[in-house]
Amino acid sequence: MPFFSQSFKYECVNFMKTDRTPLMLQRFFSHPWSHVVIGIWHKYPNPHCTHVVTVDVIDRSVDSDTGIIRTERVLGCKQKTPVWIVKLFGGSEDAYVREISFVDPATQSATITSVNLSLSQFASCYERIQYRPTSPHQTMFTQTAEIQARMAMWRTMTDRVESWLVQRFEQNAKQGKAGFSDVLRTMWEPEQPQLSPGAS
Amino acid sequence: MAHSLSPECTPLKQAYDACFNTWFEGYLEPAIAHSKNVPQGQRNEYAKKKAEEFEQKCGAVWAQYKECVQKAVRDRGLEDLLEQARQENPLRHPPSTSGGSGSSSTS
Repeated sequence: MPFFSQSFKYECVNFMKTDRTPLMLQRFFSHPWSHVVIGIWHKYPNPHCTHVVTVDVIDRSVDSDTGIIRTERVLGCKQKTPVWIVKLFGGSEDAYVREISFVDPATQSATITSVNLSLSQFASCYERIQYRPTSPHQTMFTQTAEIQARMAMWRTMTDRVESWLVQRFEQNAKQGKAGFSDVLRTMWEPEQPQLSPGAS
Repeated sequence: MAHSLSPECTPLKQAYDACFNTWFEGYLEPAIAHSKNVPQGQRNEYAKKKAEEFEQKCGAVWAQYKECVQKAVRDRGLEDLLEQARQENPLRHPPSTSGGSGSSSTS
């Protein structure tokens, strides 16, 4: 644990969840903004996030006036879906996500917006991640998600679908943070002495 | 590096990703420095030069990869879903930083 917190200190500042309001997570990476943003493109494959199996760029542009890079990607995910969801909506283990990112060096802001493509006629999960520098050595990570069932359903069913999506978001957010921290550590701290008795 | 949707696109994807990463890692730090220290006009010159360099270096492999991945997207029936998502939220410009709503962030 000391090794862990030494190499990338993070704290959970805020986690709120109320009915129909966005979920929000805020954390810090002990890395400069530029390192975090370079790391974005190296996040997958990742042993913490084995549910993401494919990543493809389908569009990318570099704005020659602003220097902003826009990237549109499709992520292919494999994740066990509860039987009741499959029975209700069909679908399979394969799920696809559209992700659009903007990297703006001038304002030092990176935003990543994701939305599910699969089962999007039934429910949508909009997720937004933002990376902003808080100091030359620290980057703030803010993640919000809006999850909503789209169709008119019985209230109990809507609640059930939403709470399943919320659970999945929380689980994936946790795994995503752990996975990305490892990526950044491997990329930028290769000389880290192995001092921790607890590290395996 | 992660795999592509279609195994046959994976070599092209990896070549393209490697090309982009090399370019991006050379681009980012100077772009930040330029935006801090240099007047507006000159920063644009830097962005313009680097955008051209990206096209020169990675344009050819991108064209090949794009063709491959577009077919993979069609084959998996994702084209309509993508089109629908783009219509709902084109996201051609960075979203406002206030967070919150994911809808209609184009200005």
